[in-house]
Amino acid sequence: MNLPGFIVRNAFRNKRRFALSVSSVAASLFLLITLQVALRELTNPINDEGSSLRIIVRNKVSLAQPLPARQLQVLDKIPGIVTVSPFSFFGGLYKGDEKFTSFAQFAVDPKRTLPLLADAKIPKEQLDAWIADQTSCIVGQMTVDRYGLKIGDRLQFTGQIYPCDLDLKIVGIYHGTADDRNLMFHQKYLDELLGNPGTVGTWWVRAASVAEAPLVTDRINKAFANSSAEVRAESERAFVLGFVSMWANIKTLIGGISIVVIFALLLVTVSTMSMAIRERFRELAILKAIGFRRRELFAFVLAESFGLAMCGAVLGAGGAWVIFHSINIQKLTNGLFVMFEVTPKMMGLAFSVAALLGVLAAIAPMFTVARTSVVQGLKTLD
Amino acid sequence: MATPENIVTIRNLSKVYAQGEIQVTALDNISLNIATGEFLTLMGPSGSGKSTLLHIIAGVDRPTSGECLVQGVDVTKLNESQLADWRNQNVGFVFQTFNLIPVLTAFENVELPLLLTKLKRAQRRKQVEAALELVGLADRMHHLPKQLSGGQEQRVAIARALVTDPKLVVADEPTGNLDSHSAQEVLGILQSLSRQAGKTVIMVTHDPKAAAFGSRSIHLEKGELTN
Repeated sequence: MNLPGFIVRNAFRNKRRFALSVSSVAASLFLLITLQVALRELTNPINDEGSSLRIIVRNKVSLAQPLPARQLQVLDKIPGIVTVSPFSFFGGLYKGDEKFTSFAQFAVDPKRTLPLLADAKIPKEQLDAWIADQTSCIVGQMTVDRYGLKIGDRLQFTGQIYPCDLDLKIVGIYHGTADDRNLMFHQKYLDELLGNPGTVGTWWVRAASVAEAPLVTDRINKAFANSSAEVRAESERAFVLGFVSMWANIKTLIGGISIVVIFALLLVTVSTMSMAIRERFRELAILKAIGFRRRELFAFVLAESFGLAMCGAVLGAGGAWVIFHSINIQKLTNGLFVMFEVTPKMMGLAFSVAALLGVLAAIAPMFTVARTSVVQGLKTLD
Repeated sequence: MATPENIVTIRNLSKVYAQGEIQVTALDNISLNIATGEFLTLMGPSGSGKSTLLHIIAGVDRPTSGECLVQGVDVTKLNESQLADWRNQNVGFVFQTFNLIPVLTAFENVELPLLLTKLKRAQRRKQVEAALELVGLADRMHHLPKQLSGGQEQRVAIARALVTDPKLVVADEPTGNLDSHSAQEVLGILQSLSRQAGKTVIMVTHDPKAAAFGSRSIHLEKGELTN
């Protein structure tokens, strides 16, 4: 036997308590990681190859306010723009969905859209079929997989924003974008259903180069300044972050819950270690009597506390990593989350929290050990 | 200074406990010599100060005043860390309630004090086996405490006290939790430690029969020596 072996034996002497304590730490760290992953997913916009080139143009008053379709003629003349297409969020309910459909439907101009989605891969014949048929649509691979769709299927959507319903035929399936969930159909089809109101939801613009993108943004804003429909043009990233900023309370809430989780974790670990030391009060006195010094007893307590917390971290954080890498989170959350990626930074956070808790939880028992003289300990024996 | 014959020399030793505003005198100006190889029994009623005296000699408690020289070292002057080292090298403890670590085997319990030394594994094994052999438990060395009888547990505790080869063995009511047969065995071992191995044994007991195993017996009452 050696001293580390002695520490391990002590830690495992009450197996049920050890298992429950490690499980508590593991469950808390699993929850902490899950919250961090969810927060990241909600607040971190997806970056693909074309995102730095894309510019979103919306009504300056509000995203809910439409833009005049006639703005297209002005946009087409602005230098530095490769292509521009309407992007009108339809927000319909797919058949069977009662409150929420996990994939968005966008009305676009098919001929102008593909250059905007630089990463999208779709067979040419499917693209041609989409361009040719005004009531057709293309659907992302994730949605196709989730709903078991195929080319030729007809999809019906009940309008929730617009006073009309859609009846679309799938003619193409795309993949390769950072978010292969969306459905795209003809803006002209939507216009016809609405009686040609002459409006679009937003414009999506592709700049010629990354360097030119800020200049193009500026030009677009200036082009419509003091017009009846002033616009706010911004990069896709700024647009998404602006969208997320409306969820500020969610960030605060998740941050708050994370702190509560850590605090609960601290209480669990402190309580466990205090119980473990109280249970061994007599033995610690004996160890002192036979020559163990305070620093050795401190090391026992610290090593056991640290070990317990790290076992919990391996189980909780490691478990989160394994689970979130092996399950289809998109399917599980009905498309609410796409990536749900556990990053090395999050793993580092979990293990740092565990290490810190291991040390903090050892402090109170170490004080008890330090304060207790051999005689005090021995008196509890008789 | 202690003479070569005296392993313990106590001069004017007093111990006063403060319990709130009340002061309780546990030891009152005690002077005592204990010869090397002696088997001394400390007797007296509860609260007479015999355990306190034993604790001070063993370096686990400090007096309020006076000197306590063990092998020429005034243990009252050592700091906490020095005392721990000193205890490890010079004192073997035997307690009434055995106090073996329940998750360790008899062998590992006996080995425990040696983990603080620089001895190699093989050397530790040799010493542990010798100590267990001495108390007649060589065949039980891989048993856990719960697999041993009370008498066997106390013999393991004696082996643990002896494994570092201390000059001084202190025992606080070592037979208090044992049946008469086991008590006889334990007392016999302590007696042979004194007679054959030349160890100095100091034992606290209430039992006159146990005290009869000692070479000398002293009585304490209200913190004072009565003989």
